[in-house]
Amino acid sequence: MKHSYLFGLIMMLSVTFVMTACDDDDGLTVTPKNELQNDVIKRTLGPNMVGLNIEFAYAMAIPKSLGKLVSAQVEASIGGAEGTYLDNKSYYTNGSGQDVGIEVGSASVTSGAKTTVTFTKDTIAATLRYFYRIPNAARGQEVTFKFSANASNGQTVTYSMGPYKIAQMDMVLDLDVKDSTAAYISIADMAVYGSADAAAKADKIDLVYLYRSIPNITFNHALVAPSNKEYLPGVKLPAGVNRSAKINKVWALRDQQLARLQFGVFIDDPDFQQLSITDAPDFAINMRAEAGAWVETADGKYRAYIYMNSINNTTKSAKISIKRYTLK
Amino acid sequence: MLKNIRLIGAVFLTAIAMIACKEDFPVDEDGLLITSRTQCYVSNFELLGSDFQTVRTKNAVVDTVALTVDVEVFYGTDLKSLRPQFSLVTDAKLEPKITGKVDFSDLENPKKYTVISGNRQVKKTYTVKITVQKP
Repeated sequence: MKHSYLFGLIMMLSVTFVMTACDDDDGLTVTPKNELQNDVIKRTLGPNMVGLNIEFAYAMAIPKSLGKLVSAQVEASIGGAEGTYLDNKSYYTNGSGQDVGIEVGSASVTSGAKTTVTFTKDTIAATLRYFYRIPNAARGQEVTFKFSANASNGQTVTYSMGPYKIAQMDMVLDLDVKDSTAAYISIADMAVYGSADAAAKADKIDLVYLYRSIPNITFNHALVAPSNKEYLPGVKLPAGVNRSAKINKVWALRDQQLARLQFGVFIDDPDFQQLSITDAPDFAINMRAEAGAWVETADGKYRAYIYMNSINNTTKSAKISIKRYTLK
Repeated sequence: MLKNIRLIGAVFLTAIAMIACKEDFPVDEDGLLITSRTQCYVSNFELLGSDFQTVRTKNAVVDTVALTVDVEVFYGTDLKSLRPQFSLVTDAKLEPKITGKVDFSDLENPKKYTVISGNRQVKKTYTVKITVQKP
């Protein structure tokens, strides 16, 4: 009796061992798919701004035994602006870290929202870069992309990307401002005017740029609303230029799209929507390079961020870049 | 008899367990420890603008006898949104509390801040006098 229990127990243990022992699937071994395959990554970071590119890398490959690549195409839900293209080169990185392109197809052809590259070389694997120039029609909307590749054996693969929100903001880079000659900044036009033009567009001038070197105080480079005469020493405003504005100085907010420096900081639509500078003054003096200022126009129509790319005390000038958001 | 001794023993043990871990750390209404320190002064003062950069032209002068903080700020400082920072002696605290931007624009009526010592018995009210640099 006793022995039969023991025998049963041993049998059960043996069966358990047999069932678990040979399970050597480590989850690391991948069986390759014997078909045409593709994959996409988005290469650009930050807000998608009208006029800038969204860049993708589209990879496709087919086993040699099945055939070769015939064509690759991308269809955007909103047609890209002029300058949208699918690169006909496949890139590799050489020993010095440089991307070297090898032409594998004819230059891309865009018809409507669809951009196509037809392969001219005998190619079984390629990674093509797609540059989508964001059109004005897409402002504030969402864009999706459908990548697809065809092979000589008739197989087709597709890969969908998005949706991506296109920002409401506008951006202008590297405006040159100079004391007295190009000093009148219009947020509405996102432009800088001299005094003659400023008089003609008096209702659009929001800020005056000036440089002063005054003993005992630090004035230097300043952005002052025309309404504030105290901080416009020696400035003779053109007739009619008298608007006010809210200006809030900021330090070390180096938006990457404005500054193009190494800092991964981006100003996006929500930053403007949530901005609260109602108690801000109407002047900002002693603006330094890489500093900036939030601005809200007197009519409440625009909010903007003005970034000082560089300053020059000798020529009394500066280079500024602006991101602007139109309030509803 | 033996049963009674056991009962008494149990009651004692329970009582000891209940009071043993209770130590007296006095705290004030902010949950801060009240200590025996009586020192009560400001050791340093800083004033930041809306861009979190200092607006002082030089070090602030703290007079612990006259109970004043004299600070000169740059020409063009927006006095309506400044962020003061007080350094206090160990265990002291400040009243009113500074929670964000403070409006210092009324130069005729300077802001007053009270330092309260570690034992919460000594209170000294400092006046922050701001002067703006003139060209």
